[in-house]
Amino acid sequence: MTDTSPPAPRRGVPLWAQIIIWVFLVGLLAIVALGLRRAQQGTVQPGQAIDNFTLPLYSGYELDGKSEIQFDDLRGKVVVINFWASWCKPCEQEAAELQQAWTEYEPTGEVLFLGADYVDTEPEARVYLKKFGVTYPNGPDLATRISQYFRIKGVPETYFIDKEGVLQYVQIGPFTSLEQIRAQIDTLLE
Amino acid sequence: MIANFGYGVLVITFLVTLYSVFAAIYGDRRQIPAMVESARRAMLLTWPLLTLTAGALIYLLINDHYEVQFVYEVTSRSMPTYLKITAWWGGQAGSLLFWSWLMSAFASLVTLRKWDRDREFLPWVIVVACVTMAFFIGMNVFFENPFAQFYQTFDGVKSYNLKPANSILFTPENGQGLNPLLRHPGMIIHPPMLYLGFVSFVIPYAFAIAALITGRTDDRWIRLTRRWTLWAWLFLSFGLVLGGRWAYDVLGWGGYWGWDPVEIAAFMPWLTGTAFLHSVMIQEKRGMLKQWNMILIILTYDLVIFGTFLTRSGVLSSVHAFAQSAIGPLFFAFIGFTLISSIALIIYRWGSLKSETEMTSLLSREALFLLNNLLFMSILVVCFWGVIFPLISELFSGQKVTVGPPFYERATSPLFATLMMLMGIAPLSAWGRSTVKTLGRAIWKPIVGAVVVTAVLFATYTQKIGALIGFFLVALVIFVTIYEYWRGAYARQRSQGENIFTAFWNLTGRDRRRYGGYIIHISMMLMAIGIIGIETFQVETQGTLGQGETISLRNYELTYREIAQWDDLPSGVNYRRAVLDVYEDGEYLGQLAPRIDYYYDSQQNMTIPGQRSTMRDDLYVLLVDWEPATAAGATFKIYVNPLVNWLWLGSLLFLAGIIIAAWPEKERERAAFKAEARVQQQTSAAD
Repeated sequence: MTDTSPPAPRRGVPLWAQIIIWVFLVGLLAIVALGLRRAQQGTVQPGQAIDNFTLPLYSGYELDGKSEIQFDDLRGKVVVINFWASWCKPCEQEAAELQQAWTEYEPTGEVLFLGADYVDTEPEARVYLKKFGVTYPNGPDLATRISQYFRIKGVPETYFIDKEGVLQYVQIGPFTSLEQIRAQIDTLLE
Repeated sequence: MIANFGYGVLVITFLVTLYSVFAAIYGDRRQIPAMVESARRAMLLTWPLLTLTAGALIYLLINDHYEVQFVYEVTSRSMPTYLKITAWWGGQAGSLLFWSWLMSAFASLVTLRKWDRDREFLPWVIVVACVTMAFFIGMNVFFENPFAQFYQTFDGVKSYNLKPANSILFTPENGQGLNPLLRHPGMIIHPPMLYLGFVSFVIPYAFAIAALITGRTDDRWIRLTRRWTLWAWLFLSFGLVLGGRWAYDVLGWGGYWGWDPVEIAAFMPWLTGTAFLHSVMIQEKRGMLKQWNMILIILTYDLVIFGTFLTRSGVLSSVHAFAQSAIGPLFFAFIGFTLISSIALIIYRWGSLKSETEMTSLLSREALFLLNNLLFMSILVVCFWGVIFPLISELFSGQKVTVGPPFYERATSPLFATLMMLMGIAPLSAWGRSTVKTLGRAIWKPIVGAVVVTAVLFATYTQKIGALIGFFLVALVIFVTIYEYWRGAYARQRSQGENIFTAFWNLTGRDRRRYGGYIIHISMMLMAIGIIGIETFQVETQGTLGQGETISLRNYELTYREIAQWDDLPSGVNYRRAVLDVYEDGEYLGQLAPRIDYYYDSQQNMTIPGQRSTMRDDLYVLLVDWEPATAAGATFKIYVNPLVNWLWLGSLLFLAGIIIAAWPEKERERAAFKAEARVQQQTSAAD
């Protein structure tokens, strides 16, 4: 090597500082590696039967007067779970379409829409729900238990579950048209 | 045939970069100049080779070769030719190739310079550039081959790099077409600009590493890469602004920046790059902060790779993320490798990177520059924390917590405000020493001016305290900068007998970096006006209107006139276009026509806002929903975005500023020498 610097460096990095730097670096890389492993796993895959979960509901957004939903009680219905948040801009893109789809399918009694509010505060969530005129059952995903179960990567994400409680389709990111939502539900209703 | 040719050349290029790395190391170790020269020529070869590969890919894209998987995924028959070409960077495999191609262009440019004075850097610059290139080309060769073709075998149709036994080529009738969101002009230039910024930061990094390895740790590497850094910064900044413009026009939420993880990923190298740009000046003028500059350029490089990695690995979900892919772990390994080896090198050379001088005054320019650096780093920490925090919280508490835009806005706005404050003070302080008295004497006039402007705005425009502080700072910086400019020009006018315009011109020409920098400061302030405007004064409303009905927002009234729907079959798009009459305080202004375009091939909607843009505000109307069954009504979302046009105006001036600062000078060395002399004059003048 063509080393032209003075042979003896004046003062290097003290050992304790070196240790801190390396521990920090390795820790950081470990955390990113962890995130990467999660990401590689991906979301829950279609074909998997979904276990029971509990979604508490905001008042005014209850289901048949009940302030809590047990997923197992919903067998026999097509369930559409939409993960959203009031701070999420892309969610606004699909909010009107989702509500429109709900008003179309609600009368059939065969389809249930659920909104799972992800990492949010109730007042802000209420403003959002009101702004888009959402009427289907909505509640907070407490301690992110449901979203962790589905291993969602972000919001919005929507999961279509058939009448037997088996996941059939995952939509990552917002819907861009009502037709997209209809198409998924209609195949599950056939 | 063409696909196999393209793949073959790609493999050869990969081998050439590997050869270049080994030849450079071997030649340096064994002191064989011919070996190093051979490595240099090999690196020079990468650009023509990758251009051939790219040519092959473009040929396939233009000519509808849907047997090639990548072509199938990003183009369709109805797309015009220019979109088929730009579809090159519309998908994962192609955009990686695009990255490598740009990188090779920069690497070749570097090899062409005169190396006489810096021979010892050459092998290591080659090593860094070629390792980076080999990594990216390797991704294409082994995992994301843009030339993979569909073959029909007994197991069905799958894509393969090479023809498997007992198979026949399978050609789909039509492709899937490019995501309509990516068909916007802004999106056509945005990725290349960002990538140009990304790859050009590799060059200063390569020189920094060369300086660390060879132990030649004076400011030579900084002087050599000064212009590269400026151009890198130009491309990166412009790429970010274009991305914002694209979001504003296409994403349909009335904003330009959403603190999306991928936006942050591109923003982070910009932060360290901007800090670097400032702190290298201290090293050049005062011989300080050498260790710091090394850290900054290493961070910038790894954030560039990290940014590319985030968009590609699926670690974070976002509007930008490409499909999930196997290349994530490799990116991760590469970042780990470069970060660890760079940090190890810097620790090894720490002692010889000590400052030559000490800080003498907390108000000196170098102290203020240091503060500027700390602020940029604080913003970086906020951003990085926001990106990494969900992972950490999940690890330790089992609960995933995501931070949204409010977190970033609250955490960064005081930091940005302080940065603006510094932008106002720093140009008036002198290198070496500065006191409250000297500074005060220089700054009181601009402060008075800014106070007057703020008072006028308070009386006529707004009473919001946050916005007023913002506008005060904007006015202060603009006044200080103009004052500085004027002082210089006035001095020239008197001493050289030039008229004031010539004086301005010559002043800028004599110290381009400084005065280009001032123009950049002013442009940043114009952009700040736009940001303050949209952040604090944006109003929105949403409503479903029957024909002839009116909705109003601020002093605008909009009347819904009609809606039409038709197919444009050759381009495969269905248009839904609503027309609204716009009135302001009862006065007719014209019509706006928001649209929803539905692309049959990719089955996606694209929302095109109707916009009326003035320097005062933008009226921005989106067609949200329209059902043929209820043709009487349509739902609209309406925004008034005050002052947002200043943001785009500022970015144009910004471009001009960087070009002035980065334009090549003929007698670079002599100018640098003169600058040195001037600094001494200034320091003594400030006494």
